[in-house]
Amino acid sequence: MNKKGLPINVIVLMTVVGTVLALSASVLPSFSRLYRQTLIRSAETTGRQAVAQVSSTVDEYLSTMESSMSNISAAMDWDETERGGFFDVFFRIRPNVVAISTYDADGALLACYSPTHSMRKQVEQNLSIDAERIKNGGGYVSAPHVVTLFEGYYPWVVTMVRPISTEGEGRWAALDISCSELSRYINDVGIGDRGYCFLMDEDGNIVYHPQQQLIYSSLKSENTALISTFDDGAHTIGNVIYSVQSIKNTPWRVVGVSYVQEALSAGLLELRKSLIPMGLLLASAALIISFLLNRVLYEPIRGLESAMRQFERDADHFSYEPYHPALGAREIQSLSQSFGHMVGRIQQLMKQVREEEINLRKTELRALQAQINPHFLYNTLDAITWMCERGKTDDAVMMVNALARLFRISISRGRELIPLRSELQHAECYLRILSIRYRGQFSYRFVTDEDCLDCLCAKIVIQPILENAIYHGINGLIDEGMITVSVRGEGDDVVCTVEDNGVGMTEEQIAAVMQKERSDKAGIGIKNVNDRLRIYFGDAYGITIDSAPDEGTRVFIRMPRIYEESEYEKK
Amino acid sequence: MRKSRLLAAALLLCLTLCACGARQKPQTPYRMVLITKSTTTQFWLSAIAGAGAAKAEYNVDLSIVGPETEEDYECQNRYIRQAVSDGADAIIFSAISYSENAAAIDEAADAGVKIVVIDSDVASDRVDARIGTNNLEAGRMAASAALDMSAPELYVGVVNFDQTSRNGQEREMGLTNAFREDARVREIRTIHVQTSSEAAREGAKRLLDEYPETNVLIGLNEPLSVGVGMAAEELGLGEAVRVVGFDTNVTCVDLLRSGDMSALIVQNPYAMGYLGVETAWKILEGKPFDAVFDTATAIVTRENMFTAEGQQALFSFS
Repeated sequence: MNKKGLPINVIVLMTVVGTVLALSASVLPSFSRLYRQTLIRSAETTGRQAVAQVSSTVDEYLSTMESSMSNISAAMDWDETERGGFFDVFFRIRPNVVAISTYDADGALLACYSPTHSMRKQVEQNLSIDAERIKNGGGYVSAPHVVTLFEGYYPWVVTMVRPISTEGEGRWAALDISCSELSRYINDVGIGDRGYCFLMDEDGNIVYHPQQQLIYSSLKSENTALISTFDDGAHTIGNVIYSVQSIKNTPWRVVGVSYVQEALSAGLLELRKSLIPMGLLLASAALIISFLLNRVLYEPIRGLESAMRQFERDADHFSYEPYHPALGAREIQSLSQSFGHMVGRIQQLMKQVREEEINLRKTELRALQAQINPHFLYNTLDAITWMCERGKTDDAVMMVNALARLFRISISRGRELIPLRSELQHAECYLRILSIRYRGQFSYRFVTDEDCLDCLCAKIVIQPILENAIYHGINGLIDEGMITVSVRGEGDDVVCTVEDNGVGMTEEQIAAVMQKERSDKAGIGIKNVNDRLRIYFGDAYGITIDSAPDEGTRVFIRMPRIYEESEYEKK
Repeated sequence: MRKSRLLAAALLLCLTLCACGARQKPQTPYRMVLITKSTTTQFWLSAIAGAGAAKAEYNVDLSIVGPETEEDYECQNRYIRQAVSDGADAIIFSAISYSENAAAIDEAADAGVKIVVIDSDVASDRVDARIGTNNLEAGRMAASAALDMSAPELYVGVVNFDQTSRNGQEREMGLTNAFREDARVREIRTIHVQTSSEAAREGAKRLLDEYPETNVLIGLNEPLSVGVGMAAEELGLGEAVRVVGFDTNVTCVDLLRSGDMSALIVQNPYAMGYLGVETAWKILEGKPFDAVFDTATAIVTRENMFTAEGQQALFSFS
């Protein structure tokens, strides 16, 4: 039995698992790339929307300030009390305006208004106006700075500087707006988990950042040099998405910073959550499949396999119960049933063949036993008649007796094996009859081993050999012939020898005698005797002939030493 | 037999999957306590603001406590023990007394609490990380700001705070060393006062009264700087006496503008607070961290105070 090769369920399981793995391995990279792209796109969209939102609110705020500026500009024409009343109201509505200051064309401070603080005596350095910039014309919105107009009060502001249109040319107003106002619009804007917005000018200076102090403390930094090169829109650099949006009419730009990694990992986390039950499901499915395969395919096939092996080993005593599982595959069931049928059929055929063989043999033996040479009977009866006519009654009586005995032994109540004693009597009767008929031509003798006489012997095996010895050996002899029949034991075997001193045979003649059926179809040939012995006792037994021309012939009949007919049956 | 092996393999697979799934542990925020020297000076307000920024960023459960006066180390010790019994994961600490706070910190460390020291050190080897100004270097900076004058002979008056505080000692050592290297320095006189601008003002006046030749005055922390500056203003010393202070608040800025204060050595308390919480978080998370971190220090004078850098150093944004 070749034990190489894998059992079916392992093959199937490996195929299933391998296919799934290969599929996922080939699909996953492109899937995750697609997934990442989608995530980036959606993160970019979120970022763009966030900065657009911030941009529009800051823009709106600045335009409100712009309109405030024109009110202030108009108020400059009013008299002192009116103007004072206006500023009172203005500062109450706009609590984030820290100061309003006015300047002449050279940037020299003319007046300063504040809701809470009075101007210090000497302003040695005023950060609320940039004389260089107003000389170059046009208003501006400054970078963040502290207000230096007061004593003991240094708030961070951005300053909006605009020309005062009324009452002559060349005057300027500066509006200091607290940075905390901007923080309202910027601080709470989150993009994703850790994303945020900040405000920078077109040169890349940070105007407002939610973590401004961290940036001032050099604990954080933004790559503003890079960001300032970006156009409006979303830009993904590595894992960071920068969404940029310019604010109308200002040099400011809103920058949204968000991270792909966290968007991705959040998405992957989501995916993993669904992957775990999926994996569990797959694993249990594989488990169930393998169990099912085991039950449906593998176990029945293995059962069939071992049944076949058993059948191979011992076909005679094998009995097969066809497999009838509730779950078995139809093919397996029919295979199993076919095998069952086949086993039954083969066993039946084997039995039939054996019976037929036995029948054939028995029939053949009976037929052979029934073959009494009619010439022999005729000649013998003729001789008896002749003796009676001559008054040789003693001889006639003896001959009739011998003939009668010959026939009785021949028949032997139908048995196939008779004691060797009876077989020898049969041979003796035959020789006696022939010695009377061929008076003076030959003599005979028996040399027997008493131990062997109770052994069983196939019926009518010696007589055909004697017949051959007389008709072909002695008949042509001028001198008196001599026939010796001897019986001796040889270990577990018994050997009968028929020896004559007749003309003998050549090698070719011996071969012919052993091969050919008798041509006259009367009586029993030596080949027949040999065949019968071999059928009865096996190939180790039978007849061997030792002969030389003009010297005589010796025929050995070898049989097993058995005492009961059943002993022979066992063999 | 083959079936049982299959079963075992499947079970193993399931367990692995479950283990993968269970790795996402829900995290409760770390509990941290920031124990300051004061809760009123601009310096500590900035530090607290910085800690607040890190608290938001790292989702930490942070509580902030500080004594009434900057001499009350016993109050700090009570806070330390309170934090330990409240089950804090980390204490961010600035020691009033280098020696007297050590035992309480050792106890806390024994209880498994992580210790991060900011600004002012404590005599304990159980401290996990130290964050603050390199005070020796800051002292040298103060000295160099004072030496930047043309007078041929220098008589230095130093107004220092509590003798037990480590950073004060180091600053004094730094500037003393630097002054000794300059041949013009004739005398260095140090007085110790309580940490209040009033006490410093009184002390400085007494010093000037006693030693009128004094032409360099140095206050070693925020209230002392204010006090020294106010004394100079009151006496109308002007350019004759060079006044150098540590840290900043609006009064210091006004004094700087008026010329009564010559230079300020500005530390970065916001960074100390922020990095204190951040480092404690890193330690608890098992991430790499700096065991010693020197925060930046700047010299601000009248000339550079309103440059972008000067504004950023002097004026807290938050």
